[in-house]
Amino acid sequence: MRIFRSTLRKLIRRPASFVTLGILIALLALILFAVSITASQPDAPPQQRAGLQLVTFPEAYTIILSFILGLGGLFAVIYGAAVAGSEWSWGTLKSAVARGESRSRYQLGTFAAIAVMVGIGMLIAFGVGIGVAFVGATIAGVSTAGLGDAETLGTMPELLGRGWLAIVEEGALGFAIATLARSQLAGIGAGIAVYFGEQFASIFLPDIVKYLPFNAANAVVATPGEGGFSGGDGGGPIIASLEPNEALIVVVAWLVGALVVSTLFTERAEISG
Amino acid sequence: MKDGYASSVTTDGLALATRGLVKRYGTRPALAGLDLSVPTGVVYGFLGPNGAGKTTTMRLLTGLIHPDAGSIEVLGKPFGRGDRHRLFEVGSLIESPSFYPYLSGRENLRALAATGAVVAAARIEELLELVGLRERAADKVQTYSLGMKQRLGIAAALLSDPRLLLLDEPANGLDPAGIVAMRETLRHLASIGKTVFVSSHVLGEVEQLADVIGIIATGRLVREGRIDTLLQGAGEVRVRVAAEQIEAARAALAGLAPEGGVMPAGGDDGWLSIRIETTRAADVNRTLAEAGIFASGLEAGSDLESLFLELTRDEATGHEGTFFGVAGGSR
Repeated sequence: MRIFRSTLRKLIRRPASFVTLGILIALLALILFAVSITASQPDAPPQQRAGLQLVTFPEAYTIILSFILGLGGLFAVIYGAAVAGSEWSWGTLKSAVARGESRSRYQLGTFAAIAVMVGIGMLIAFGVGIGVAFVGATIAGVSTAGLGDAETLGTMPELLGRGWLAIVEEGALGFAIATLARSQLAGIGAGIAVYFGEQFASIFLPDIVKYLPFNAANAVVATPGEGGFSGGDGGGPIIASLEPNEALIVVVAWLVGALVVSTLFTERAEISG
Repeated sequence: MKDGYASSVTTDGLALATRGLVKRYGTRPALAGLDLSVPTGVVYGFLGPNGAGKTTTMRLLTGLIHPDAGSIEVLGKPFGRGDRHRLFEVGSLIESPSFYPYLSGRENLRALAATGAVVAAARIEELLELVGLRERAADKVQTYSLGMKQRLGIAAALLSDPRLLLLDEPANGLDPAGIVAMRETLRHLASIGKTVFVSSHVLGEVEQLADVIGIIATGRLVREGRIDTLLQGAGEVRVRVAAEQIEAARAALAGLAPEGGVMPAGGDDGWLSIRIETTRAADVNRTLAEAGIFASGLEAGSDLESLFLELTRDEATGHEGTFFGVAGGSR
């Protein structure tokens, strides 16, 4: 618990926490505003006008969450890799181990703090996204009556919970990759490569890719037949998605696997530098 | 190997002991059966040329890496995988100090205090005062100079009020006042019964600081003992004679020292160096006088550098390339 609290304090002070969240929110706001303005032009073609779905409530709730899981997943990989990798690059893991700290507890306590930070970041991004979508809807002259749709709002806690788990799994992958790489930069680079590698693999291995971590994470909150930013009808390669509950099991398996790998590796590693 | 030094196979009364410690990196041996005996309540200077195995030893002693063979005892108890709690009573500064650059000095100590043994909050302020960082404690570590980071590293090593302190080049980056303060602090710690193990390249610093030294070369201990005893047996007497009498003086003194033990001390000012115990300075003077040569200067002394180079010469000459192409550890 001491390590968890201490890491949380460290992450709150860490510029990477704010930079990552800031970029995600900026991109989300930029896209929502851009779509709202272009789609609301009187001479906009029907395809562009369809973009107004992004700022149309209650659908906007799940679409924004889907966006956060898509792009936010990449940022979660980078963030997880940055935190784990810096422990090796800066030598702070070495200092903790030399004080007699348990390597496994240090890794798990650190990751628990990352999971909390990722959850807080997701909630902030989601809140800001809803606000921007509301403003976008107003600009575009789209009704905001669906904002208080009781049925959709009732499903949001579960969707956010699933989304948090998915994004934490993506962070865990970055965490594990950087631990294996023992380096912040190498971990971030490898994490990004794995993220895009999985998207690329969908061309050749469409039946397998749905079980891979990032696609499974996106499927956790996806409603069958609904497209988001990271697959389905929204663009990009069309991949058969897992059912949300099935995806949840796959995500948990990847999460546990990533943590086991990073913990076992750290436990056995020879720490130098 | 253990000149005037009460250590043996037993490890009773030792703060730190290694027996037959072996560590290989691939096929390359870094340690080839290291036997260290560090008594309780002393400052122990751990010396060796680059690549001799000092850093590997420090990493093994702090559980960062594990030996391929041999044993380690820390504060009288075996230390291996699973014995991490032994380190609760050990403070260390291994290689360069490691901190979160975006946190302040105080926050870094707090973060470190969340690991290992429990540390009272007041201890952090006490240590910041001790290492002279109170004024800068709220500043980010990335704004610290090398010396300030080193001070913070020493404070971090002292966090748990350890019984055994392992320090790798603790004077690195410190200014003269900082070095003096560090030396006084470490001497004080030894005086109250704590054990300080210092790995260093700065021989003069170790000579002033240490009670006991251990010299390592090619992964083995080549000498260990109390520093005063070791230096007594590795002394040098320097004598100055008229330039035209140097060869005659060398011939006269040849019988006092081992072969090759009488040589010009450098320069062309008539100084000769004789490698004998410092207590035999009078013998040198008398021998010269009996040969009709009268010395205009006589000095007796010994230094750790001479001993170090003598003991590690084989390793230095064994290198394919030496620093600036100077082989054989010339002075």
